[in-house]
Amino acid sequence: MADRLLFSKTGRARYISHLDLMRTFQRAFARAGIAIKHTEGFNPHPFVSIALPLSVGYSSQCEILEFSLLEGTLAEEVPARLTAAMPEGIVIHQCYEARRKLKELRYINYIMNLEYSEGRPQESEPAMAELLGRESLTVKKKSNKAKAGFTEVDLIPLIRSWRIECQSDTMTLDAVLAAQNPGLNPELLRTVFCQTYPQFTPEFVTFHRREVLDGEGEPFR
Amino acid sequence: MNRTLEYILQRVQKPARYTGGEYNEVVKERQTVTTRFALCFPDTYEIGMSNLGCRILYGVMNQRPDVWCERCFAPWGDMEEELRQAGLQLYALESGDPIADFDIIGFSLGYEMAYSNVLNMLDLAGLPLHSEDRIELTPLVVAGGTCCYNPEPLAPFIDLFVLGEGEEVTLEYIDLYQQAVEEGWSKREFLLEAAKIKGIYVPSLYEPVYRPDGTLEEIKVSEGAPQTVTKRIVQNMDQAYFPVKTIIPSTEIVHDRVMLELFRGCIRGCRFCQAGYVYRPVRSRSPELLAQYGKAACEDSGYQEMTLSSLSSTDYPCLMQLCDELLDYCAPRDIGLSLPSLRADTFSMGLMERLQRVRKGGLTFAPEAGTQRLRDAINKNLREEDLLQSVRTAFSGGWNGVKLYFMLGLPTETDEDVLGIADLARKVYFAWRECTPNRARGVRITVSTSWFVPKPHTAFQWEPQIPMEEYQRRVDLLRDALKRDKSITYNWHDPHTSYLEAIFSRGDRRLASVLEYAWQNGAKMDAWNEYFDYQRWMDALEACGLSGDFYACRERRPDEVFPWARLSVGVSTEFLWREREQCYNSQTTPDCRTRCSGCGANQLLTGGGRCG
Ligand code: SF4
Repeated sequence: MADRLLFSKTGRARYISHLDLMRTFQRAFARAGIAIKHTEGFNPHPFVSIALPLSVGYSSQCEILEFSLLEGTLAEEVPARLTAAMPEGIVIHQCYEARRKLKELRYINYIMNLEYSEGRPQESEPAMAELLGRESLTVKKKSNKAKAGFTEVDLIPLIRSWRIECQSDTMTLDAVLAAQNPGLNPELLRTVFCQTYPQFTPEFVTFHRREVLDGEGEPFR
Repeated sequence: MNRTLEYILQRVQKPARYTGGEYNEVVKERQTVTTRFALCFPDTYEIGMSNLGCRILYGVMNQRPDVWCERCFAPWGDMEEELRQAGLQLYALESGDPIADFDIIGFSLGYEMAYSNVLNMLDLAGLPLHSEDRIELTPLVVAGGTCCYNPEPLAPFIDLFVLGEGEEVTLEYIDLYQQAVEEGWSKREFLLEAAKIKGIYVPSLYEPVYRPDGTLEEIKVSEGAPQTVTKRIVQNMDQAYFPVKTIIPSTEIVHDRVMLELFRGCIRGCRFCQAGYVYRPVRSRSPELLAQYGKAACEDSGYQEMTLSSLSSTDYPCLMQLCDELLDYCAPRDIGLSLPSLRADTFSMGLMERLQRVRKGGLTFAPEAGTQRLRDAINKNLREEDLLQSVRTAFSGGWNGVKLYFMLGLPTETDEDVLGIADLARKVYFAWRECTPNRARGVRITVSTSWFVPKPHTAFQWEPQIPMEEYQRRVDLLRDALKRDKSITYNWHDPHTSYLEAIFSRGDRRLASVLEYAWQNGAKMDAWNEYFDYQRWMDALEACGLSGDFYACRERRPDEVFPWARLSVGVSTEFLWREREQCYNSQTTPDCRTRCSGCGANQLLTGGGRCG
């Protein structure tokens, strides 16, 4: 099986897109002098694959990249050497042999921060709680496959748990959401919240991935 | 990062180009440096980061502990709008600090269509556009790059221009600037001293005097300023800085690879080519050093691609030796090696095979003209037989696409020359039929024509650009001639940008008001179709009472006082005139390696150096 990296992407690196990040890793391995397996075929290049692409602008402390380490480098040397070859904001925490399949990664813990610089409206908290507490919350989602150009998804079954914490000018939603097949992008929660309660539309929202989890709610590695 | 900026970045396209933070970005402590330099490229990040010259200057300046050079690019429209709305000033990527607070703001000017962005960036920085309205010494606004060989349309906006290669002169004027700050000089005092540095042109010290017909009578020189400003060159390329360790963007740029600069200048002397004249004389790096740089740059960057970049790379004397050495390094690491410019006459299958082992897509040749007579007239020493031989070899080797570039409207061009393009393309097609191992796959032959723009400091600086209708007629003529050839695609360049280039490249100082007017009416990013508006520029010319044709389509008198008369690239006007006459006699001039034609550029080499 492949090797994996656990890394975080924060600060200015948040704005690097998924495709660009892959390229950055390919180059960083070469810069760090870490030999990794290349693809075969016409135009061989270092093989890397990042699980569950992160939206541009989101930060994360639990990204997973798959690759194959070739002889010459010890896994425990990889984090420090690779981090030194990275642009600001990307830090590699672990390098290890993959022991379980990626599809066992079931949930992602997101921290969503809704900011109100003029002060948070009191009623925003119960509003959010009301929304997430519903029996079902069906939204239209763009889809290229469906004939109508969209499909209907119920968000509630995709939310495993949530917790709200409030300050005078922020509301923080700590939510565990389905990761894949299908996954739930927290952006959709923001959209639905702002549509349902336009009066509580925040000025600014940040998204952060805190942890990736398996079916038992344990960290996935 | 500034909160407002974070907010904005969520909403704009490709935000990674506005953040900085890339690998190898240089960050210094604000307190530890005396001089902060904002290196500004008046186009997008993707274009600007692909500019080798900027990478060199960035490296050269940042080697100095007392100087911090940062980068700044023109924001795309969505970002500009957000910045303006939020009241944020244009900032440098490394620190995020507004460039208005820097000591020196330096623009790189590579093409005329970026001029409107210079004004727009000054405005976004919150600075007055005109040099005279920026009373204080700081920030000093300077510019360098190829356009500075005739910078007159930008003269009122820029404090000083740097002519030629900037590696040394940049540090010299920074030293002077530091002295000026320390001793409290006025801006005028500084500029008067700066004008004494070789290669520096201070436009406010020169005053154009016009005749009633709009041509120049003379250019008056203020006391203390030199009569002629001659460009600077690096004497020894083996001692010149090479950016081994350079910023690796985290987002894709245009030239996303290692660029290995083999030499500067060009031995060929094509009469239309500004680069061929203004970068003289040829100075090469040694192959050993290049191989070393190339490898080191790959190691440091992690790039999977390297390109040999020079004006005519196949003229490099030790090319085979260098390529072999580089390939020994690149091949086992899956690093691709490529040559952007090929000359048909030096092209060999062996070299191509060596370089582009994997990709057999397209080959590019630039015959520039369709007949031997016209190619001789422009001194493009490319013989039809050599071109055909090259494509035969390539087609036999399995290539199935060729791009051919030409210009329409070259001096002395007749309809016969235009139709000659179609003939040549057809001969290339027949060469394919004759040689291809696989006819079923078909072939793509692309013919592209641009509209010739006469440039300053070339043999054709006296020439008119042909009228736009005439260009269009020649395009139609060629299109008709190629109509029935299914395997040949014909593309022609939109004439509007070429017309504006023709106006501005040989323009005088009066065009500054046109530029300002156009900018006030929304001109920016003129190199981009999304933004370029031809009518806006025509309106601007009219509003300023100037005629585009006066600049583009007027044949200059032999004794014309050019707007760039005070600027020298080291090539004598007599030589250029001789070259022009040779053109009208369809006589070629040998390349600089075969025989020196006495252009004068060797005098730029101090200590009796020889061209080459
Ligand atoms: S001095 Fe002679 S060899 Fe040197 S660039 Fe001029 S023509 Fe060429």
